[in-house]
Amino acid sequence: MIGVGTRQEAIPQESGRSKRRLAPDEWVGWRDVRMGHLDAEAERPYWIALSLLPGIGPVGFARLLARYGSAQAAWRAGGAALQVLPRQVPDAPLAFKRLARRGVLTVARKVEADVRRAGGVVVIALDADYPRALAEADPRPPVLYRAGEPDAFVAPAVAIVGTRRASGYGRSVTQELADELARAGVTVVSGLALGIDGEAHRAALQAGGRSVAVLPSPLDRIYPPRHRELAAQLVATGGALVSEIAPGNAVGRPDFARRNRIIAGLSQAVVVVEAPDRSGALLTAAAAIQLGRELYAVPGDINADGSRGSNRLIADHHASMVTSAAGLLTAVGFASGGRPLSVTTLSEIEGRVLYRLLEKPGSVEELLHRTDLPTSALASALTLLEARGLVTSYGGATFHPTLAARRIGQAR
Amino acid sequence: MLAQSLSASLLGVDGVPVRVEVDVAFGLPSLTIVGMAGSQVQEARERVRSALRNSGFELPARRITVNLSPADIPKDGTSYDVAIALGILAASGQLPDVTRMAETALLGELALDGAVRAVTGVMALVAAARASGIASVVVPAGDEVEASCVSGVRVLPAATLGDVVAHLAGVRELPAAVASPPPPWAPPANVPDLADLIGQATGRRCLEIAVAGRHNLAISGPPGVGKTLLGRCAEGLLPPLEDDEASEVSRIYSAAGLLDRRRPLVRQRPFRAPHHTVSTQGLVGGGPRVRPGEASLSHRGILFLDEALHFRADALDALRQPLEAGSVTIARVEGALAMPARFSLILAFNPCPCGWLGSATRQCQCDEGQARRYAGRLSGPLRDRLDLWVTAEEPRHADLDGAEPSSAVAARIRAAWARQLARQGRANGELAMGAPAARLGLPPLLGTLLQRRGVKFRLSPRRLERVAAVARTVADLAGEADIRSEHVDEALHYRPEAAA
Repeated sequence: MIGVGTRQEAIPQESGRSKRRLAPDEWVGWRDVRMGHLDAEAERPYWIALSLLPGIGPVGFARLLARYGSAQAAWRAGGAALQVLPRQVPDAPLAFKRLARRGVLTVARKVEADVRRAGGVVVIALDADYPRALAEADPRPPVLYRAGEPDAFVAPAVAIVGTRRASGYGRSVTQELADELARAGVTVVSGLALGIDGEAHRAALQAGGRSVAVLPSPLDRIYPPRHRELAAQLVATGGALVSEIAPGNAVGRPDFARRNRIIAGLSQAVVVVEAPDRSGALLTAAAAIQLGRELYAVPGDINADGSRGSNRLIADHHASMVTSAAGLLTAVGFASGGRPLSVTTLSEIEGRVLYRLLEKPGSVEELLHRTDLPTSALASALTLLEARGLVTSYGGATFHPTLAARRIGQAR
Repeated sequence: MLAQSLSASLLGVDGVPVRVEVDVAFGLPSLTIVGMAGSQVQEARERVRSALRNSGFELPARRITVNLSPADIPKDGTSYDVAIALGILAASGQLPDVTRMAETALLGELALDGAVRAVTGVMALVAAARASGIASVVVPAGDEVEASCVSGVRVLPAATLGDVVAHLAGVRELPAAVASPPPPWAPPANVPDLADLIGQATGRRCLEIAVAGRHNLAISGPPGVGKTLLGRCAEGLLPPLEDDEASEVSRIYSAAGLLDRRRPLVRQRPFRAPHHTVSTQGLVGGGPRVRPGEASLSHRGILFLDEALHFRADALDALRQPLEAGSVTIARVEGALAMPARFSLILAFNPCPCGWLGSATRQCQCDEGQARRYAGRLSGPLRDRLDLWVTAEEPRHADLDGAEPSSAVAARIRAAWARQLARQGRANGELAMGAPAARLGLPPLLGTLLQRRGVKFRLSPRRLERVAAVARTVADLAGEADIRSEHVDEALHYRPEAAA
């Protein structure tokens, strides 16, 4: 009796009939796919239609291509093709039947029309304007929806990601990093989320650089809605929006995990600024490691919940520590684009307040002690410094010097 | 036979003169009261019946009809009992000479034994009688101090129905009450002092500005840092009521039945802090028998809503009208009723359900939508009417040493208040909307500065008007005739921050 169990496990379950079927744990990735012979135009409708099926992700798509040689062949195989997928979704056969009934060309044309209406184009992995960095990633999304120019993906890109509930410190550092990168001609990639992501996009725009946002939602439903305007600005300034989800589809939840993989895939390095435990930014970090991208993290307060995840990336030697914006730039291999120095005249009181803030950000109560000013004088000085763009509170209690203020500090 | 007597009715916080007409006619013995008389008035039949009999008079066994005129306003309360009884006596010939009764208003509830009992709102009722040209008013004994707060009318306190009859018949005169000079104002006792508050430099400053200019103040911040104490300190900073304000406020308290009968004239500026479970009616007034709500009870003073975001949304929203118009209007089938409610509002609340949003020391645990929904309980229009916004910070250990006491701050506030009244006759926060920059004496250059800041900080024109008014108060507190740019900048520091 002894050893029977082990022997049974060792015996292959499959019989000769299903020899060509891939075992569930058998890894097939894009490296096993030969695409050189495929005609992009002929394949396009099949790629689009297949990518709409539930349960087909980048890995599943690669398997189909590896098994059938082309999307067209996989589509023709019909229901049988679905058996190859690593993840079996009960809805998939029915969804396939529905799409098949409408006809692959109709389906693809409808998607392309929806994308056009949302101001974008469909890009499949066979296209020349499929982002170069992503084309080297494995797994990679077979079909992308893009708004904005393909040029946005030519320059080297670095991703900056972090928590939505960013602290003033996190926002301030994000601005500095994004500004430095954008000035050096690096495209700043992020996820358009509130907090760190939004700050990174905005700072890159303000520095006159390019920024790419990867959406967790279709192009026609910008998520979060509050960043709709920001998204439009990104496109208008030479950046782009990218999504893996087809527009015009039924309402679904934003898919953050897939978005985060694309963020890492598009970038040569990923910088995590402020991430609590179980932050989505840590998924991006994991994707970066999996895809072989450089990973950096900004050290934060060891007592702050908001920095626990990012600090651990450093502690566990997954990420290199960012100690300055210039240091990050050198580490990712770029020369500083230079910073314009700003000159401004300040009163004695304003100068005193700003100087204290450059030493260390602080709340009004702290500043009262450190500047020795009456409440009223400090209040008006802070308003003036805010109006000049030298100081900001990011909506919280702590006041921080802005990038412009640090430039004055360096000029001294 | 027909007779009439005079009384007064309470409508909201105001008195309305009421003519009590009594007709005693042949027919089945009955006593009917008409003229939109509520249940308390209907019960007057039984009180009057017993009181008459027990005072040695007789209720004629006739068909008696009592009409309360004007008959189109609803009447409630017990203040007509004496007038009804006297009307019946006159109509049944038991009071032969009615000349005195024609010029005397009669107020009072009757006990079954004929004693005259106190009624609510005597001050407003007497004021109404005087306004309609009545020279003397009979009031329940014990209510004469309150009634005497109304000048220009003879107040006659009566203890029993027999006394009233004797006086009106000219048999025995009721002695007129002598108005005693109101006691001098003394600062309220048992209110928290700013010296007890730890830290909160910005909060103190905002409170001073808010009280000095009668501005509305929003205090947000994490739990346990002293928001409630800060708000409650406002009471000790309020200057006493001016004379005309004192009688106005006293009338409201009289109508609400909240007056101290021995010291009826309210000198202390109201400070009301209703609990967050208060109903809309309790907050702005109303009810089947319209009563002043907290908004009217805070008239000329401060309404402090602690945990403001936990108040019912409709209750908070109902405050918009008084904040705008200075009065509450209760619409009824019978018509609209206005009650004065010009208060400054102080709100204290947590910025999010957990309370730590925006804090420098602790991470907020709420999710984005949760926090936004929470803050959204304060509607945009209400938000717009809050002039000063301050975030209370956690106190630091260095703040534990002594702070300025309320008395010193109150002195500055009184000086600033006097300056505003001398210049424009009212507080800066009470200046009506629209082009206040010009009215506040904001120099054109500063108007431009304000516009520029408005663009930079994305402030609405209405917000800028509020900022200008606050800047005016800051200048008044500094004792300066002209607003300067640092005053404007300080006022801008207390703007609501749009969370990024």
